[in-house]
Amino acid sequence: MGIALQLLFTGLGIGSIYALVALGFVLIYRATNVVNFAQGDFAMLGAFSMVVLCIDLELPYWLGILITLVAMLLFGALFNLAVYYPLRNRGFQPVIISTIGASILLENGVLAAYGPRPQTLPGFFSSQGFSVGPIFFDSQYLLILGVTTVMVTLQYLFFERTLLGKKMQATSQDKEMASLLGIPVATMIMLTFIYSSALGGLAGILVAPILFVSVGMGSSIALKAFAASIIGGFGDVTGAIVGGLALGVVETFGAAYISVPYKDAFAFIVLVVFLLFRPQGLFGEKVAEKA
Amino acid sequence: MSGIVSSEAHKPPTEHRTGQGRGLLMVFTAAMTVVAPLLLPITAYYLNLLMQASTYTVAVLGLTIVLGYTGQINLAQAAFFGLGAYSVALGTVSFGLPFWPALFAGVVIASVAGAVLGLTSLRLGGHYLAMVTISFQQILTLVLTNWTSFTRGPDGIPGIARPIVFGFSFADNGTYLALCVGVLWVVGFCVGRLKHSKLGRAMQALRDNELAAGVVGVDTYRTKVIAFTLCALLGGLGGGLFAGGFTYISPDQFGFAESVVFLTMALLGGARSPFGAALGTALLILLPEWLRFLKVTYLAVYGGAVILLMVFMPEGIWGFLETLRERLWPPAVLPVGRVAPLPLTTQVAREDDSTILEVNQLSKHFGGLKAVDEVELSVRRNTVHALVGPNGSGKTTLLNVLSGIYKPTNGRLFFDGRAVTRLLPHERAGRGIGRTFQNVRLFTTMSVLENIIVGAERPGNEVAVGSTGVEHYALAALDFVRLAELRKQTVQSLSYGHRRLVEIARALAGSPKLLLLDEPGAGLNTVEKSELVQLLKRLKGHGLTILVIDHDMSLVEQVADHITVLNFGRRIADGPPAEVLRNPEVVAAYLGK
Amino acid sequence: MITCRIVLTGMLSMLTCFGRAAEPLKIGMVASLTGPAAESGLYQTQGAKLAAEEVNKTGGVLGRPIELIIEDDQTTNPGSVLAFSKLAGDKDVSAFIGPIHSTQVHAMAPDIQRVGKPMMIGGLDPQLTHMGNPWLFRCRPNDTYSARVIADYGVNTLRKKKWAIVHSTDAYGASGMKNLVEVLKRTGVEPVLIQGYTNNSQDLTPVALAVKQSGADVMGTYITFETDLAILARQLRQLGVNIAWVGSPGMVVTTALRLAGPALYGSYCVSDFAADSSPAAKEFAGKYEAAYKTAPDNFGAWTYDAVHVLALAIDNAKSLEPQKIREAILSVKGYPGAEGTYNFDQNGDGLRGYNIVKNDNGKIVFIKHIEFND
Repeated sequence: MGIALQLLFTGLGIGSIYALVALGFVLIYRATNVVNFAQGDFAMLGAFSMVVLCIDLELPYWLGILITLVAMLLFGALFNLAVYYPLRNRGFQPVIISTIGASILLENGVLAAYGPRPQTLPGFFSSQGFSVGPIFFDSQYLLILGVTTVMVTLQYLFFERTLLGKKMQATSQDKEMASLLGIPVATMIMLTFIYSSALGGLAGILVAPILFVSVGMGSSIALKAFAASIIGGFGDVTGAIVGGLALGVVETFGAAYISVPYKDAFAFIVLVVFLLFRPQGLFGEKVAEKA
Repeated sequence: MSGIVSSEAHKPPTEHRTGQGRGLLMVFTAAMTVVAPLLLPITAYYLNLLMQASTYTVAVLGLTIVLGYTGQINLAQAAFFGLGAYSVALGTVSFGLPFWPALFAGVVIASVAGAVLGLTSLRLGGHYLAMVTISFQQILTLVLTNWTSFTRGPDGIPGIARPIVFGFSFADNGTYLALCVGVLWVVGFCVGRLKHSKLGRAMQALRDNELAAGVVGVDTYRTKVIAFTLCALLGGLGGGLFAGGFTYISPDQFGFAESVVFLTMALLGGARSPFGAALGTALLILLPEWLRFLKVTYLAVYGGAVILLMVFMPEGIWGFLETLRERLWPPAVLPVGRVAPLPLTTQVAREDDSTILEVNQLSKHFGGLKAVDEVELSVRRNTVHALVGPNGSGKTTLLNVLSGIYKPTNGRLFFDGRAVTRLLPHERAGRGIGRTFQNVRLFTTMSVLENIIVGAERPGNEVAVGSTGVEHYALAALDFVRLAELRKQTVQSLSYGHRRLVEIARALAGSPKLLLLDEPGAGLNTVEKSELVQLLKRLKGHGLTILVIDHDMSLVEQVADHITVLNFGRRIADGPPAEVLRNPEVVAAYLGK
Repeated sequence: MITCRIVLTGMLSMLTCFGRAAEPLKIGMVASLTGPAAESGLYQTQGAKLAAEEVNKTGGVLGRPIELIIEDDQTTNPGSVLAFSKLAGDKDVSAFIGPIHSTQVHAMAPDIQRVGKPMMIGGLDPQLTHMGNPWLFRCRPNDTYSARVIADYGVNTLRKKKWAIVHSTDAYGASGMKNLVEVLKRTGVEPVLIQGYTNNSQDLTPVALAVKQSGADVMGTYITFETDLAILARQLRQLGVNIAWVGSPGMVVTTALRLAGPALYGSYCVSDFAADSSPAAKEFAGKYEAAYKTAPDNFGAWTYDAVHVLALAIDNAKSLEPQKIREAILSVKGYPGAEGTYNFDQNGDGLRGYNIVKNDNGKIVFIKHIEFND
């Protein structure tokens, strides 16, 4: 029993990492109908930025976070302009490839600039966590779960209760219509990229103390986060969260009770099952093409 | 050499000779490249490089088929490559098979895997299909690494045998390279020919406009499965040759990263052409070698280059060159000799006015919205039947149900005496239902004539038989709408009015028993509209049964024998024009109460 | 004056002869400059360069300076093959230094056999020196020895009999595990847990739990990446697992210590390189640190030794003929290298022992050296 609970907690912990990254995927997908293969690398950039600021330059933690988030906002804008915007009318294939290229560029650029050695970032809390009975609650995982909940709530409030949020929703649902209604579509998309990039950076900052900071840290999460967003229901924010958490739990239990080396396979098997039998995911809606 | 066995009478003699000349040049080049490794003293470095390049190109040619021709993303090509490689490796090392049977087994296994993957495309497309391929890739990598008892796990398999043919062994790298290059040329040639075959046209139609392709008679599902199977087949073939070439494989070579490499090679060179595949592969294998001096930064440069390519050269380098060529030397407006007239009248006797289409209590609901509500409709042969109604009355929805694009919520359809309620779009095309769309849906990357040939190739078209017959028939259809000299033009270069006519010709080429026209007059100016009316009258004069939707009452008045009026999804009037147009309910619906 | 001119011309012609003799002696090195192993590749090239400089300062080999030509293998198999063929294409390259990944060495093996010149390798797969390829010479002790040392220390010194084996599923981890299981079985010990995991797992709780559940009192590990190592160490401690730990060489590299911190305190590691294990090792450590400002590890140590052994062998052979160099390498006995004392056997294995080191509150302390003679 204790084991199952421990696995559950850890599963939720790692799942919340997937969820955070999946949030970023889903937002960009909803706005642009494009899957961003470089989403995981946003997290990597955020993490490296923290390493440079807080470890190398020894700035205080809070300052490092602030600067990193601002930098990621700017980076999101740059990413949009360089990678998505020129290709926005060309269908999804060129954009997917372009984002793959961006991923390669980012990973190897950081590698060239910083070197291949993995780095570490101290956790937010000085204590690693605490035990309740046989279960250990890792403080950083708790933090991630907490932050994810807060982000999701804030995001919900933003998209549903503010005018800007509703405009962004409208853009993601029907670009043409939104444009006809006077919503500046390009600006909305830019905002989406900026926010999604900052979200990715935040995920990286949170995740770094657990996974350590290395050039490939983002892409290993990204694929699973992508799978999670499909399982949850692509295009739906709740789905991304639920999908991410579910995936983390399934994976962890699968590893413990079935096979550890095949852990990564579970995520994809679940995904395939969903794709075959319920492609709209847990919460998504079917969309029919207009003839 | 060109795939369309053209009616020689129409092809100017110089065109024919250039085709032959090009063919000879290619055969000569092929022979030279196969023989070169045997005769020239190539260093081991270049032998290895070329072996990698040629086997990779075979795999990338698979992507040319599934991505370039058919427009489906496949991120599992490294998995198929791996299946082929492991079959050869395990076959020769663990099972003691000779090289060729092991290679054959590998190709078969890979093809089966590809077919299975293709089967999943029934419900999925775009990103979802991409994710299925990624999942397959990841799972296979894990299996190759962890099923140690069978695959030898991460240590890999050394000592893979080279093929032996009649006692002659390919142990020398030079001879093996010659073999690889030879296979590459054969595969490249086949892939090139595929583009201009019926299957190839079906694939391209599917890529350009999946919806229209189905309606025009392409079995889209089957085409996708075939595309994936062929792609996997070539992946397996490339992998098997690769294993034989390097004589050692390990599972880390066949992961997702490698699939991305294959995809990038296809896109860089140009996914739509076998030359593009070769070019892209060569560049991406050579580039890291040339960029060795950059040492650490070259991969970053590579990533940046990919982005730039996508932005500035999305069709890849070869595609860019081809577009350039088209711009500099656009296809000529070709005069055409005598064209046999389109035999539209072979269908049915003039006097037969029996019902060809019967719509019973048809409903189509979208959730709470009743787009079509218990509509009854009868279309008689040899008539022009118009379906009219204000915007949003459900006309297009009804037409989409008739085409098979939507499944009806209730009701039944009978065509030519048989129930068609459950048939898929391409099956309805096979029965003789032809259709045009409100927003013209042509296959934009194919020429005008090729578009129409796709229409002529619909299943069950007894009139156009054989490749020559099909082309003749297509030309006749194009000639019917008086645009025969535009046959080599790209669709993009046509005016909107001409595109509409081409779409009608495409439908006519399927020798339809019933032609469904969705707002054929939309977007046309007055002159074009009157030309359209003339065309409709000619069609009617040839005895073709037409169901036309339009707003423009003057157009409808001129051609319709019978009008059905819809409003809010319900039928509010049905009868000859004179009667219907004076119906007060109809007038009120159009003008508002 | 004419006499002067004759003497001058004579001297010039003699000088040109000597000039040709001072032409560099090329040694080709296949190293991972890019790809996942780029970090270790850097250390390896540094070690080799340090050795080459030293050799050249003392007159070079056969009177000629060594020139190290390095080609990037991109950490892939085809990359290694291409890097090797590029180097081998230059007829003046007399010998090679290869990578540490056994799969990459396997990939190059057929070509190496064809070219017929010696290559010093760092791969640990025992098969590499037992597959009939006469041109591979190993400058690190292969995995049969690491397994035997782990087992020997754990069973005989620490006196623990309930073994849990945790290993990465890649070639390195799988090979290590296989050897360790075999060695343990030979001493009559059946492991209570054999647990593999895939590289770059973000979470190793299932593994840590499995170790805890198994009731093991000692853990033997073959872990490839420091990130996985640190995550495992941390999670083990969080779950209260503090059993004895004897791990594979990666556990004491600087990065591992930095990432894992206190979680690795008290653990033991078998390491082919330990600075305090011998005077030669200490000397090397000092020189490396002076040159590169960081402490060396086994990556730099073995290539350093490889270059020196090659230089020694070629000098002893007094010729560049591959067969003669081969025989000279095999005759190297008692050479004190940074990794240990080299006694090449007929298979081409130069080292047959490992050091036991302990992580004593962050400091790496040398415990002892265990050597086998077979």
